[in-house]
Amino acid sequence: MTLPLVRTFAAATVLLTGCVTQHPQNAEEFRKAAPGAFMAKVDTQEINRSFREIGATFRKRAPECLNMRVTTTSQTPGSYQVIVSAYKPTVVVTDERAELHIQRHHEKGVLAVTKEPEGGYYLIVADAYPVDAKRSRLQIFGPSMGYDVIYKAIIGWATGKDLGCPDLTKTG
Amino acid sequence: MIFQPRVAIWLLGAGLLAGCSGIKTYPDTSPRNLIVKTEARSGSVFSSSRVAVHIHEVDASCRTTYLGTVQLSESVVEIGIPPDRPSYLVFNFYSSSFLGGSSGSINYETLLRPRAGYTYNASARYADGIYQVAILESGPGRSKGLEIERRELADCNRG
Repeated sequence: MTLPLVRTFAAATVLLTGCVTQHPQNAEEFRKAAPGAFMAKVDTQEINRSFREIGATFRKRAPECLNMRVTTTSQTPGSYQVIVSAYKPTVVVTDERAELHIQRHHEKGVLAVTKEPEGGYYLIVADAYPVDAKRSRLQIFGPSMGYDVIYKAIIGWATGKDLGCPDLTKTG
Repeated sequence: MIFQPRVAIWLLGAGLLAGCSGIKTYPDTSPRNLIVKTEARSGSVFSSSRVAVHIHEVDASCRTTYLGTVQLSESVVEIGIPPDRPSYLVFNFYSSSFLGGSSGSINYETLLRPRAGYTYNASARYADGIYQVAILESGPGRSKGLEIERRELADCNRG
């Protein structure tokens, strides 16, 4: 499915069902809302690195790869769409887990229909919990389609096997 | 030679676009101290990707002046970056889809102050929506390259 179609479908679903009256205003609300939400998923996998190592990689890669403004254009016969999106990553490392929050604010091309948290709507939250000294459980909350490149990048950072950045023009 | 009106119109259009885009070829300067290895794979037969690097000179106030662009269409491209002064390199990863009519480009930007007599081996990789740029510095008496950290434009006066 092409990107404009996905966006149109997602927007139409929200509007037609009228089921979204409020979006999560923080990462914890997002974690609670995602498992039962339409077109959302929770991915869980075990990683052979400590959660502190994963947190350190999140700290190094997330600002460099995700703190950016992205312009995408879609052109089909009869339509031309320009979307400007600003992404904001936040990394929090505590004794319990390493967290990566990704927010997105549309500066152009998409209307905000509900109250938007500061920094943008929560898009993805990834948490790494310790299993033992050398292993972690990585849990990623986010959309079920259209964001594979971000999931792939987060898993690459967590495993330490691929430190590349996701092409954020390939999302949506 | 037979005159083909469509070819002439296409060439005229391409010429106008090239002239109006603001993109110019980076001058071939020596020594060629930046060696860029490029790997670009879009991940689909219905899409394509290409990589280029835009080179800017940087003045003492961290202001940039665009010097030109090198298309990284070959797997290895050698470029001459003026030594002992900062340059701002903007690696541009462009991808487009034939089916959806969508396109996008994303940049990796970094300052580089090459040292005279040193060589900089860069890799620019784009594969299945993941991109990465790494630059290693090699110099006299150093067999293994030292990774150069990415630097913001605002750091132009540091080091």
